[in-house]
Amino acid sequence: MLGALVIAGVFAVGALFPHLLSDYAMQIGFRTMLYIVLGEAWNLLAGYCGLVSLGSASFVGIGAYVLVGLLNTTPMPIGLAVVVGGGGGAVLAALVSPAVFRMRGLYFTVGTLALGEAMRLMMVNAPWFGGATGLFLHVDWPSSYALYLYGLVLLLVTEFVLSVAAHSRLSILMRAVRDDEDAAAQVGVRTFRVKLFTFMVASFLMSAAGALQAYKLSAIEPYGMFGLQWSVDVLAMVIIGGMGLRYGPIFGAILVIALGELLADYPELHIAITGIILIVLVRFAPKGLVGLAGQARAWFAGRSSGAGLA
Amino acid sequence: MLGLEIIASSVTSGFLLGGTLALTALGLSIVLGVMRLINLAHGIFLIAGAYAGFFLQQVTGLDPFVTVVVVAAVVGAAALPVQRYLLEPLAKYGAEAPMMTTFGLAIVLENLFLLKFSADTRSIETSEAAVPLQLGPISVPLIYLICFAVSVCVILLVHLIVVRTSFGRDLRASAVDPGAAAVVGVDVRRVHTLTFALGGACAGVGGTLIGILFSFTPASGANYLLTDFTIVVLGGMGNILGTLIGGIVLGVLQSVAGIVLGDGYRDLIGLVVFLAMLAVRPRGLFKGHAA
Repeated sequence: MLGALVIAGVFAVGALFPHLLSDYAMQIGFRTMLYIVLGEAWNLLAGYCGLVSLGSASFVGIGAYVLVGLLNTTPMPIGLAVVVGGGGGAVLAALVSPAVFRMRGLYFTVGTLALGEAMRLMMVNAPWFGGATGLFLHVDWPSSYALYLYGLVLLLVTEFVLSVAAHSRLSILMRAVRDDEDAAAQVGVRTFRVKLFTFMVASFLMSAAGALQAYKLSAIEPYGMFGLQWSVDVLAMVIIGGMGLRYGPIFGAILVIALGELLADYPELHIAITGIILIVLVRFAPKGLVGLAGQARAWFAGRSSGAGLA
Repeated sequence: MLGLEIIASSVTSGFLLGGTLALTALGLSIVLGVMRLINLAHGIFLIAGAYAGFFLQQVTGLDPFVTVVVVAAVVGAAALPVQRYLLEPLAKYGAEAPMMTTFGLAIVLENLFLLKFSADTRSIETSEAAVPLQLGPISVPLIYLICFAVSVCVILLVHLIVVRTSFGRDLRASAVDPGAAAVVGVDVRRVHTLTFALGGACAGVGGTLIGILFSFTPASGANYLLTDFTIVVLGGMGNILGTLIGGIVLGVLQSVAGIVLGDGYRDLIGLVVFLAMLAVRPRGLFKGHAA
């Protein structure tokens, strides 16, 4: 809880003293907050509930399309449109859950991968959503500062939801489902409901992030908003930070953004290096950098494991 | 309304292309059936095979249907250390860690290919490419039939290896129950390594055929991976002859969707079939068992 407050506080300082930040810093700050939100949502799904998804793009994309559709056709305020965009993601999650929850473990992963691609192809081919060229947002371009504030609010909401989820009865239910779904069902956990609830909450947050991204871009198209890159980035971020750990996604997101900025002139190299980091960490530090830090701390303190971080 | 000849030709093309795509899915299927590993690097293995076929033809000038044997050996051999040094040590962490590693490998290779070979679209030229084949009212490119024949031969060969050789016996035993297989003296580790290499070799041949029939870029791997997953799910995971049927079924379905709904829906129908199959009948169309 304390850690989440510290992180949110750092970003809040930026909001209180905008003149301290350059436009570039403001943009990077917005992107980092967006990635933290996506990472936290994915970690809730994969780290706590065992639902490793490669379909994040479907939810980022649906949020983006809902927001643009709403703002173009109704005089709805931005904040509400972001919330409804998130709701669109939760509805999509509920709609596809009977199909994707028939798949367990790795099959769920592949099923969600197919879901993302199917959504993208549908947006390209269906006659209502602007096809491959996409849609333009007809409202005014937001200032970096306004975007930063919206990002901060979404980040605060996410951290609140995650902190509640990590300290409630739900967290025990989710971990029971993750560790052994059949055993959990045997002792009376309604596994489908737990998974559905987690999936809907995570999808809500991802779609809200996608909606904000669409507001930032002012123009959306299926290849960008439903691109596999979203699913890949989110997964890489959380694995690098530490899956299933409370602060894993935060550090993962900061590291991935920093790496991306350092190697901004070499996009291919940047992604290849992310891949190598992923392989090395999966092999030698399955709990990511935060897990590694925990182990190091325990080692210095003369204890045998970093149990305190879980 | 379209003429009957066009419909018949289109469905025949779908049949032949589907049979060819079955080979691209074969490696994915046997690795999944025997090792319970979802190899997310399979798509990039296909692209590696396509590049190998492309450059071998550029350098030697030989017919790609001849050099495909070399490509199979090269991609198969390249897959060996991946299994030995990257995936094998992770087996104790459960099924997710190896899958993540293949995923990491896929993005590393894709971007190395981008750096090395650029994002240019390439394809492998063959002398048969433009020759049409006329069978009564049906007209298809001859190259479709040749690639289909190559694919069917390789799939039958792999089938024979699995049902007729002692390695195949070990492979089937490891697929059903690795623990019990180890108890009766099967070197499961060796079986897994060879299975992964065999999957790589199949991907090499399949990738060359993709290069001959279609065009490819380093980023094409992900698309073929998804098509291949659909074929594997249709045919049943690890079911070798099922993969061939699954490929043909998908090819025909896609060509029908192309005629009825429009060309853009070809890939979409594949994914819809994929999700529907996973939800309704995850064991595949047929009863068969793994490998």
